[in-house]
Amino acid sequence: MDRTNKTIALIIKLIFWALLIAFFVWAFANNMFSKIWEQPDTFLRLLGEHITIVLLSGAAAVLLAVPLGIFVTRPKFRKSEWLIVGIANLGQTIPSLAVLALAMGFLGIGISAAVVALFVYSLLPILQNTIAGLDSVDDNMIDAAKGMGLTNTQILWKIELPNALTSIIAGVRTALVINIGTAALAYLIGAGGLGVWIFTGIRLFDNAFLMSGAVPVTLLAIVIDYLFKWLQFALVPKGLRLARKAQNS
Amino acid sequence: MCSGGDLIVNLIEYFVSNFTFILGYTWDHIKLVGLAIIIAIVIGVPLGIYCSVNKYAASTILQIASIMMTIPSLALFGIMIPVLSLINEGIGTLPAIIALVLYSQLPIIRNTYTAINNVDPDIRDAANGIGLTTFQRLIKVELPNAMPLIMAGIRTATVLNIGVGAIATLIGAGGLGGIIYQGILRTNNTMILAGAIAVAVLALIADLFLRLIENLFTPKGVKK
Amino acid sequence: MIHFNDVTKIYNSNVKAIENMNFTVEEGELVIMLGPSGCGKTTLLRMVNQLESITKGDIMLNGKSVWHSNKIEMRRNIGYVIQSNGLFPNMNIEDNAMIVPNLLGWDRKKMRDRFNMLMELVGLNPDEYRKRYPHELSGGQQQRVGVARALAADPPVMLMDEPFGALDPIIRTHLQEEFLQIQKELKKTILFVSHDIDEAVKMADKIALLKGGKMMQYAEPARMLNKPANSFVAEFVGQDRVLKSMSLYTVRDLANALTLKPVIESPDSQNINENLSLRVAISKILNQEADQLIVENDNGTRKGSITLDLIEQFLHREIKESV
Repeated sequence: MDRTNKTIALIIKLIFWALLIAFFVWAFANNMFSKIWEQPDTFLRLLGEHITIVLLSGAAAVLLAVPLGIFVTRPKFRKSEWLIVGIANLGQTIPSLAVLALAMGFLGIGISAAVVALFVYSLLPILQNTIAGLDSVDDNMIDAAKGMGLTNTQILWKIELPNALTSIIAGVRTALVINIGTAALAYLIGAGGLGVWIFTGIRLFDNAFLMSGAVPVTLLAIVIDYLFKWLQFALVPKGLRLARKAQNS
Repeated sequence: MCSGGDLIVNLIEYFVSNFTFILGYTWDHIKLVGLAIIIAIVIGVPLGIYCSVNKYAASTILQIASIMMTIPSLALFGIMIPVLSLINEGIGTLPAIIALVLYSQLPIIRNTYTAINNVDPDIRDAANGIGLTTFQRLIKVELPNAMPLIMAGIRTATVLNIGVGAIATLIGAGGLGGIIYQGILRTNNTMILAGAIAVAVLALIADLFLRLIENLFTPKGVKK
Repeated sequence: MIHFNDVTKIYNSNVKAIENMNFTVEEGELVIMLGPSGCGKTTLLRMVNQLESITKGDIMLNGKSVWHSNKIEMRRNIGYVIQSNGLFPNMNIEDNAMIVPNLLGWDRKKMRDRFNMLMELVGLNPDEYRKRYPHELSGGQQQRVGVARALAADPPVMLMDEPFGALDPIIRTHLQEEFLQIQKELKKTILFVSHDIDEAVKMADKIALLKGGKMMQYAEPARMLNKPANSFVAEFVGQDRVLKSMSLYTVRDLANALTLKPVIESPDSQNINENLSLRVAISKILNQEADQLIVENDNGTRKGSITLDLIEQFLHREIKESV
């Protein structure tokens, strides 16, 4: 039984890889990544713009959302927590396209409008996860820490933040992956990025432009996703990983 | 640029004077997302159930689904156009629906799988004890108990898809994204905002509606 | 050492959680606060280290009002053990146990020595556990580390909130006994919350029985069992209070109070050390069908013998005296 199950899992994996390889073979055979070789300077410029937009907005969002999350989970401001969580939930139903478009409406065309839009959009998942992470810290643990004479600041740094770290990094990871996708739309508001080639491809019905833009964007998203999955593993204290495992088993 | 008050007045005017036009876009949007979700359920729930009996396949399938989820929507459209042009369907509804179905798989499969795995082992033991077959146990015991979580997965997928659907307009699939896109082309803030609000409201209504269904589908005893 | 002076706690300006509490925990005493849930015992405990505020009255700790002390500094001088989840999962065992010394700025060498010493004290191998994490330990081991952590900075006072409550009965008994041994050695002033009368009888120097925020009786365990102050106390300590109280008297207590019977050599007699409890004595008589037990002191000198009659006589005397 176990062996059959393993075999089926292996077959699924093999089919997935086969399809992936077939896709790349087909794409290379039809010269679909030609733009990357033909215009390496443009490619690097677009990629650079793409990464700049994502990183600038992401970094700014972390710098604001994490402290904000800490702030609203302090006992004094707990009462305002539902409001912030509500706004974060509601905000995520607004399509990314609209957020970009609105930023352009107020800031005009260009890279700064895109950065602002992505910044606002990535605040939400990071804020949400920071709050959820801090809320999930066991009250007994905080009680024990207080009882032993840790100050509130010490409790925050030594107990709460380390225990909320997994959740916070997961929020950053979600935000960055969404941002990479949204930055592909930044072309529409004149902010460049790899979306330029994708839209050119759609407009001209040119597969080479489409693929030379779309595949690098996809790879970028997957790489960032895996990088943060690794960070989640590397940065989170070992004891917490064990705790999680104990909880799940 | 206009003041906040003007913007609201303009918005209301826009909604009133373009009511049928917006309704048409909304209907297109609902059709696109609705069709995609139905297909996604037909594929995702059985896959989730299968995952619950084969943990090796579960990790592989969930990994693949989560990679799908990571692919940016515009890039996924961009990749599908050349592939689907092989059968002359490069632009339009088909790539949009395929993309939405792919995005829905992770929440639906994962929730189905977790829900069935979370069914109390004692309940499962009892079901085996009174002589139910695996299939009977699935239909009579596990699925009813797993229903709330499965519906929650479908809800997540739907809300997500309504947002992605707004981008599908860029590859000619129609829908509310069209209002936003036209707003961008004309640099008309009122239109952009109108489109954004319409999409957000649609997502909220869908969320509410599915919560209601979730409640109906949940056996009384399972409700908390 | 800990003096409760008219302590009152009022919630929402009218719900009285604690009413005019007056009692003193002497230095080196282990006092257990006992009572049904909602009686205010945990609230009272948490008022000592100011995790709960005091509405009226004051608690004096070593002559100093907790109300007017610096909370943080005061807490670092009080060991605190709670039922469960008190260890920090992100820190290894050594960091967990040494968190207060660390805050107090002890040097590395001193901390390491202290850790080794404390782990030996609670019966865990320091080097085996130093780098491990709470979730790698069993519940009993975690609670041992909890006790070590509370003792880390050698606080004169300890507060313990049902420390053994979440453990299974066998482990709980082990830890209670081990902890009593530690307490014999260290002589800390301990305020301990429990809902288990047997735990209280076994461990406490004095028991404070609470109900609805009021003190029902504050007395030594034997006194509470044999001389309950009112019907609530009698009911709470249980129908078998006389039996329970037997574990609190030693054979020597009986020998001091009554005249022992002469030793008659017979195959049915057994020896018993005078330091053992009367409960052991009676179960020896009942289980092994010995008619008499020959009382010996530590040197093996025979002091006489006891029979079932004599134990009965002793208990009657104790209970009559106390009513």
